Amino acid sequence: MNREQFTRISENIWEIPRSFKDGMRVPARVLSSGSLIDGIDARVIDQITNVACLPGIRRYALCMPDGHVGYGFPIGGVAAFGIDDGIISPGGIGFDINCGMRLLRTDLTMDDLESKKERLLHELYNTIPSGVGSSGYVKLKQDQFRDIMERGLDWCLDNGYAVDHDLKHIENQGRIAGADHTTVSQKAISRGINQMGTLGSGNHYLEVAVAEPKDLFDRDLAGRFGIDRDNQILISIHCGSRGFGHQIATDYLQVFSTCAKKYGLSVRDRELMSAPVNSAEGQRYFRAMCCAANAAFVNRQLITHGVRQVFSRVFGIDAMKLGILTIYDVAHNIAKRERYTIEGREEELLVHRKGATRSFGPGHTEVPAAYRDIGQPVIVGGSMETGSALLCGTSIADRETFGSSLHGAGRTMSRMKAKKMMRGEAVQQRMRDHGILVKTGYMPGLAEEAANAYKDIDAVVDAVDAVGISRKVARFRPILNVKG
Amino acid sequence: MPYIISDEYTSADVGLEVTGHDLAELFADAALGLTAIMTEIDRLNEGRCLEVALTAESLEELFMAWLSEIVYYKDAEQFLLKRCEFAVLDEAPPCLRATLTGDSIDPERQVLMADIKAVTYYKFRMARVNQTWRAEVVLDL
Repeated sequence: MNREQFTRISENIWEIPRSFKDGMRVPARVLSSGSLIDGIDARVIDQITNVACLPGIRRYALCMPDGHVGYGFPIGGVAAFGIDDGIISPGGIGFDINCGMRLLRTDLTMDDLESKKERLLHELYNTIPSGVGSSGYVKLKQDQFRDIMERGLDWCLDNGYAVDHDLKHIENQGRIAGADHTTVSQKAISRGINQMGTLGSGNHYLEVAVAEPKDLFDRDLAGRFGIDRDNQILISIHCGSRGFGHQIATDYLQVFSTCAKKYGLSVRDRELMSAPVNSAEGQRYFRAMCCAANAAFVNRQLITHGVRQVFSRVFGIDAMKLGILTIYDVAHNIAKRERYTIEGREEELLVHRKGATRSFGPGHTEVPAAYRDIGQPVIVGGSMETGSALLCGTSIADRETFGSSLHGAGRTMSRMKAKKMMRGEAVQQRMRDHGILVKTGYMPGLAEEAANAYKDIDAVVDAVDAVGISRKVARFRPILNVKG
Repeated sequence: MPYIISDEYTSADVGLEVTGHDLAELFADAALGLTAIMTEIDRLNEGRCLEVALTAESLEELFMAWLSEIVYYKDAEQFLLKRCEFAVLDEAPPCLRATLTGDSIDPERQVLMADIKAVTYYKFRMARVNQTWRAEVVLDL
């Protein structure tokens, strides 16, 4: 793909016209800086223009600056579909339903942490299960897991794993309406029931980081989000619905494959298999997806509970007295029913975000009351070596990108290539040299997550800030990392 | 090597290219290739057996269901495959019955590497070429 094939709409918005590919119903738009657009993978362009061919799509198929090749949709893909004429596609949501980020604040500063880093890392690693086949510390019965699917964080609150403040600072308060456990297979339940409270593996992690004064881009907004002191310690959690969500996606790809003919749907990529939003199959998948989304919120909450216990033990103070509070929790693999104005007419759409985060601006009714006047937090997970970032949603996102923004740095190098180029031990030493202690069950896997396997997080964050779909608030420097 | 682990397909995940002289070899090697991405198979014991019976609308769907079953048992039963034997593996109608022999997940005595969470249709291909069965499949990590 070269620049001539794009129409440059503005400094960081590049449009691929409908004439690019037969069957495109709308143009595709890639949000990217000039330097990133030159390196974009041609497969990403193929995928986002395939998305633009799907029935009922509105305005544009969008790809965020961190976009990279996925299955069906690219990761970083956003598309909105009409409820009456559009589709729902597991390939537009991702296998790991409600993979997302949670960010916690603390009252602690770097000075408090300095002498306790080694112990803290050791205890976090031993308390929060990670890696292949790990099981959570909460042993659930089937009826409890059904409750988790349908009630999400309400279950955690009832059972002492959450405080009211958590619920008020999570997307949808950690409970998405519409979940129905009868739409979920026993296989999915069997895969998920023992995995609540586990990180998983791959690029999932638990990170303790510091917000240094030089990295606070907007002190007022940072303060509103609870980042209110110099060198403050924050904790971020990146994981999703584990095997439960994956099995739901697998099950419904099979269902959609069978019913595609009935609805006259053909796709360019089998991973884009879909069903009409309002069909029986589409509705069942949506309800099952909501179950997985709720389970993912619970998963991150149970990890939060474990983190609070560890900090409480290590510092000898109750976690609430350490000020360990949820700043926010965002889904970046999900489909949501949301209202937008299209060609002067307000309508409800099903917005697919796959590796993309909501970025609702000030005044949006779905932004928690505490942040409604400023916009929602947008939590961006970087590589484990370079750390994460916090941004704030904007009204421009509401107008231009179906209220969406980026989700991470965006992988550029394959896992195998990364492992060939670097040894995990070397990455661990390099991280140690930069003041980051990391622990993992499989050291070669750390090489896969090295900084040079990803895009430059500052470049992708700058791109969305420049477009105006999120505002930069802060960057965080990692201190401790438990790699899943 | 009956299978090749490849990074040609996506940057975030991993591809598996498998060949077999017959369907049983193709299915068995694909399952072992999948397991080899997760763990060092040589270190697995053979202390557990599971019976699997599957039917599908096509041979391709049967292959996908088979690999998905291996992923399912890893999570639901904490089971890692060491070898498999097919009592039935038919093209028409597509069905199989197999015995899986393997080990329970134990981080103390096994090397646990990547966690495969799904078998995808992305770039999926399966065909018989000159008496050899070939399949390419991308696995979600």
